[in-house]
Amino acid sequence: MAKPPETAAFLRTVPLFRAFGECELADIAARLRERTLRRGQVLFREGDPGAEMFVVRAGTFVVSKAVTGRVEQILARVGPGDFLGEMSLVDRAPRSATVQAETDATVLVLDGESLSALIEFNPRAAAAFFQALVRAFVARLRESGNLVAEVTRWGLEATGLDLEAR
Amino acid sequence: MTGAPTRRTTLQLLVRREGDEGFEVHEVPSAAAWVRLRPQRLPPEAWELAEVPSRVQGRPSYVLKSTRTDRYLILSEPERFLWERMDGRASVQDLATAYVLRYGQFDFDLLPALIAKLQRAGLLSLAPASRLRRSLARHRERRLLRAAEAALTALERLRVSSRRVHPRFERLYRAGGCLLFTPAAVVLCAVVAIAGLVAGVRLWREAQDIAAGLGARPALALLTVKGLLLLTLAAHQVVHGLALVHYGRRVREFGFTFLHGFVPTFYVDVTDVFMASRRARIVTAVSGTLVHLVLGAVGFLVALGTGGFVQAFAAAAGMAQWQAFVLALYPFCFIEMDGYHVLVDALGVPTLKHDALAYVRGLLTGAASWRWTPETRLWLLYVGLSTLSVGGFVAFNVWVVAHATG
Repeated sequence: MAKPPETAAFLRTVPLFRAFGECELADIAARLRERTLRRGQVLFREGDPGAEMFVVRAGTFVVSKAVTGRVEQILARVGPGDFLGEMSLVDRAPRSATVQAETDATVLVLDGESLSALIEFNPRAAAAFFQALVRAFVARLRESGNLVAEVTRWGLEATGLDLEAR
Repeated sequence: MTGAPTRRTTLQLLVRREGDEGFEVHEVPSAAAWVRLRPQRLPPEAWELAEVPSRVQGRPSYVLKSTRTDRYLILSEPERFLWERMDGRASVQDLATAYVLRYGQFDFDLLPALIAKLQRAGLLSLAPASRLRRSLARHRERRLLRAAEAALTALERLRVSSRRVHPRFERLYRAGGCLLFTPAAVVLCAVVAIAGLVAGVRLWREAQDIAAGLGARPALALLTVKGLLLLTLAAHQVVHGLALVHYGRRVREFGFTFLHGFVPTFYVDVTDVFMASRRARIVTAVSGTLVHLVLGAVGFLVALGTGGFVQAFAAAAGMAQWQAFVLALYPFCFIEMDGYHVLVDALGVPTLKHDALAYVRGLLTGAASWRWTPETRLWLLYVGLSTLSVGGFVAFNVWVVAHATG
């Protein structure tokens, strides 16, 4: 288990907490739990209930979504400094994708209670946190748009559908 | 050649292993690679197929049972036709071609849906296209072979193509390409070919002296000849495309790629000609090869009228062109070139090579029994003639080199 000062030092490098001051970093670091995973271990599965988000401290994860049978489409790979599971933390809906460790990994867990406490006791830090979160959401939305275009192009190639000829 | 799509589409898929948390990541670089995959059904002991006659529709349907998963699938007659050909040797593209030749049309949804259905039932796996790629995939733990596979994949991705070429072919046709499909062009082609043949025979008598004209670097000169041959392959494909326009069909794609990852070649998508008459299909197939006949004859005629290095180079180029002509038009050589497509079209046996090789392989391994039917006679004839032809081709080349170098 890492000590809060070490966690705070790590969080300083994470874009999500970049606008936090020293005290705010120390405060949030004290609220985060550390969890380690072996290579291949599933952090959460698509459809699981969830009310926590995770910041990757070490290792890499693969984020995938079921397509058919045992086949899943890889949506993203995330590494140190990236975060996961924030959607369920916001809307309390089941997990939208499966996240599995590609290597031995460590994550920091932020639950809903800690987030509520952050909002209540440190609104300035909470505002900076949500601003960074929205920025990340926008970036992921753009990536999703690109992925939809990629998959559509793939499908057109696979079927040989020549729409320009019509 | 025109502007290519700027990006190749890549899908990253994760396939979970059964029974544990393990998974494998597969990168499918392009849907173009998908059409080159070879669906492989499970061994015969893993499935059963039963015919269900229908007195109402008059067409039977089929029930396919997986003896491993106890799943049942109902197949239509076209689906059974495709299932029977999914033996790991026919690619998705081959299957689509066989379907079109059999049923005269293509249903774009049928083949992907059938493959998905069979995969879900655990009756099918998809293997990489070539034996080389399959062999490399099996030995990925060796660094050198992994690098070779990566290099081949990179080369395969170097596909430069365009699907917006039809208007350009139409313009080329109107600008004079149409003259290639006139009786005058046929007569001119025959005259040039005969003149080239006469020139070739006369040159043959002095082959050793002519070969000496290549000078100190004959290998470099012959490589240059091969490079020029590659360029003329582009002309070959352009003429195929013009033939398509001549018969009112659409040129769907034109491009350059590395076949199997290492054979550089130009190609044109002429699948729309399947919607035209048999005559159109034959003319389309044959017309492209005539480029090599004419260029080869021109090479011999130039060689006859010159001397030294130019004479040797032109003679070698003529020989390479005529070999390309024979190879493209001759159907019995295990390669599915233009002549092969004409033959299978005429016979109405779209999977001749694949069926023939499977039967003979079965005979040699004891997996198939000897039968003397019209079908097996055709298969044996194809394999026998092809074996003789390949042997003859190799022997001829050895003889030519020996004759020319004294």
